[in-house]
Amino acid sequence: MYFVEHFSFTMQSAELEIEDSFDFLFKIILVGDSNVGKTCVVHSFKSGIFIEKQQNTIGVDFTVRTLKIDGKKIKLQVWDTAGQERFRTITQSYYRSAHGAMVAYDITRRSTFESVSQWIREVEQYGAASVLLILIGNKSDLHANRQVLFEDACTLAQNVEAAFVLMARELMARNGMTAIDEISLEAPSLTLNSSHPVRDTLAPDKNCRC
Amino acid sequence: MSSPATRDTQPVENRDPGWKLFGKVPPREGPVKDPKKIQKEYETKSGRAGASNPTSPRQSVRKNLDFEPLSTTALILEDRPANLPAKPAEEAQKHRQQYEEMVALAKKREMKEVQKRRKQLEDRCKLEESIGTAAQIWNQEILPNWSATCTSRRVRDLWWQGIPPSVRGKVWSLAVGNDLNITHELFNICLSRAKEKWRTSLCLCPVDAGSSDRESSLELIKLDISRTFPQLCIFQQGGPYHDVLHSILGAYTCYRPDVGYVQGMSFIAAVLILNLDTADAFIAFANLLNKPCQMAFFRVDHSLMLTYFAAFEVFFEENLPKLFAHFKNNNLSPDIYLIDWIFTLYSKSLPLDLACRVWDVFCRDGEEFLFRTALGLLRLYQDVLTSMDFILMAQFLTRLPDLLPGEQLFQHIASIHMSSRNRKWAQV
Repeated sequence: MYFVEHFSFTMQSAELEIEDSFDFLFKIILVGDSNVGKTCVVHSFKSGIFIEKQQNTIGVDFTVRTLKIDGKKIKLQVWDTAGQERFRTITQSYYRSAHGAMVAYDITRRSTFESVSQWIREVEQYGAASVLLILIGNKSDLHANRQVLFEDACTLAQNVEAAFVLMARELMARNGMTAIDEISLEAPSLTLNSSHPVRDTLAPDKNCRC
Repeated sequence: MSSPATRDTQPVENRDPGWKLFGKVPPREGPVKDPKKIQKEYETKSGRAGASNPTSPRQSVRKNLDFEPLSTTALILEDRPANLPAKPAEEAQKHRQQYEEMVALAKKREMKEVQKRRKQLEDRCKLEESIGTAAQIWNQEILPNWSATCTSRRVRDLWWQGIPPSVRGKVWSLAVGNDLNITHELFNICLSRAKEKWRTSLCLCPVDAGSSDRESSLELIKLDISRTFPQLCIFQQGGPYHDVLHSILGAYTCYRPDVGYVQGMSFIAAVLILNLDTADAFIAFANLLNKPCQMAFFRVDHSLMLTYFAAFEVFFEENLPKLFAHFKNNNLSPDIYLIDWIFTLYSKSLPLDLACRVWDVFCRDGEEFLFRTALGLLRLYQDVLTSMDFILMAQFLTRLPDLLPGEQLFQHIASIHMSSRNRKWAQV
C-alpha cells in the first residue's frame, strides 16, 4: 500500500479533464525562424529519437510529456509553431496562457539568430508578463559551420529587459539524449521560477541568464 | 511450456496430504516421490517409453516438430533437465495438454492470418481490376465528351469512388480549369525569371537573405523542398522531383510576387507533380491557389480566415452537436487543426492515396468539400475524441492515425450535410 499525494493544478481552465494525474501543468510555446529545427527538438524531447527528415510544421503541433522532478509530476505541453513570418498573425493567439516560451535559432544561420529579438518582442507583446523565456541555439553538432557564437547568445540574453528570465542554451536535436537532459534541466527552473525567478545551478559553461 | 516456468507452479500443483500453503512444511518432499519413477510414469503415459534416451531433450523436440507452427518455434515442450527432479505425472500431463492447446491456438491463428492475407490479395486484385475498368470508362467515355458528361449522375458516382491514378491528373486539370489563362510559355517566362533571381541572389551575399519575408521566400523554398514528403525521398536534394518542385514554387513567386511562397504550398505542388507534367502542374497550382478560400489562407488574411472558421463551426454544431459542445468546453478552436488541413489540402495529414481522393472531390465541389472532409474526420473519430482532453485532442487531430480507414471516412463525409437551416455553405 502506498499513498500518493496529489492535487490538480491548472492555470489554463478549471474544467480541464485530465485522466492522467499531474501536479503542475505548463504550456510552453516554441518559436523561431523556419527550419531551425524546432520540431526536431520537440521530437527528441518526447521520444529521444532524432529524425533527420521532419516535415515542415503548418500551424501548430502538440507534444506532451510528463516529467517527475523533485517528486512532483510536471506535465509539459509544448506548442510547436510554424516558423514562417507570414504565420505570425496566426501564432500570436497561441502565446496567451503560455508559462514558458522557447525561442530557437540555428547556430549555422546568422539570420535566424538576428530574428531572435523580434521573436522576443512577440512574446513580450502577446504573452503573459510572467512568461519564462529560454533561448535555444540548435544544431550545435554542426559547429564547423557555426555562424553564431555562444557568447553572442549570452550577451543577447543579458540585454533583454528584466521582466524575463532568459537563458541561453545550445542543443543538439541530433543527439536525443542531450536534448532530453537539457530540456529536463529547464523544467525545475520553470517550476521554481514560475512565480518569482530563482537562480538554479546548471552547468555554467552551457548556459547563462540575466 | 518450458521447464523454468513449471518450477514455480510445482508446489501449488502438488497435492500431497502434508502440504500446506504458506505453512512451514518445506516444499520438497524428496522421499515421497522418486523422480525416476515419475519420469517412467510420464513416459509410459505419453507413449514414449521405448525411446532410447528419455532424458535427452533433443529427442522430444524432434518428435514435436511435426505440429510446430511457424510462429511458435520458440515454444517447445522440453523435458525437465536431468539434474532437477522430474514433474509429477499429473502435472506433466497437464503441461502437455496446455502445450498442445497453445500450439493448436497458434496454428489456428496462423491459418486465419493466411486466409486474411489471401483475402487481402484477392481484394487488391479486385480493386486493381475495378481501377482498370474505371480508367477505361474515364478514358473512353468521359474524357472525350467532358463538358457533356462531367455533370451526369453516373460520372458523379464514379468520381466519388476515386479517380483512377492514370487519369487523375487530366481530370484535376479539367475540373480546376484555367481561368487565369496561363500558357506553357508564361510558365517558362516565370521560370526563367525565377532562375535569374536565384543566380543573382547567389552572387550577392547568400547569408543576407533574411531581410524581408518576400525576399527570404527564395531561401525558404530551398529549405522546404527537402522537407516535403520526406518519407517519399523523391523531393530531396538529388531526388528525381527536387528540381521540378523547385521550379514550380520559384515560378509561382515570380508569377504572384504579392503572394510569394507560403509554407504548405510545397505540399500542394508536390501532389500535383505526382499527377501532372511540370507545366500543367504549374497551371493547376496557380489556378487552385487562386480560389477564394486558398487565397484567403495563403495571404494569411486573418479576418477572412476567421470567417471561414466561423462558418465551419456553424456546420460543426449542426452535424455533430455533442462533439461540438465537447470542443467548446475544452477551448479547442478550429484553427488549431484546420490550418494544417486547409493549407496543405490534407496532403500532409492524410495518407497520400486518401488525400488524393479528397482532392478528387475537392476539385469538383470546391472549398466546401475541404470543410466537409474535416467534419467527416471529426465524425469518424467522434467517440475517441469525446474521451480526450484539450491537449490529447489537439495532438490527435494534428497527427491523425496512419491507418485511417478510407472507405469509412468517405462514408462519414457522405453523411455530413452541408446545409444549415436551409442555408448552403456559400451563404454562410
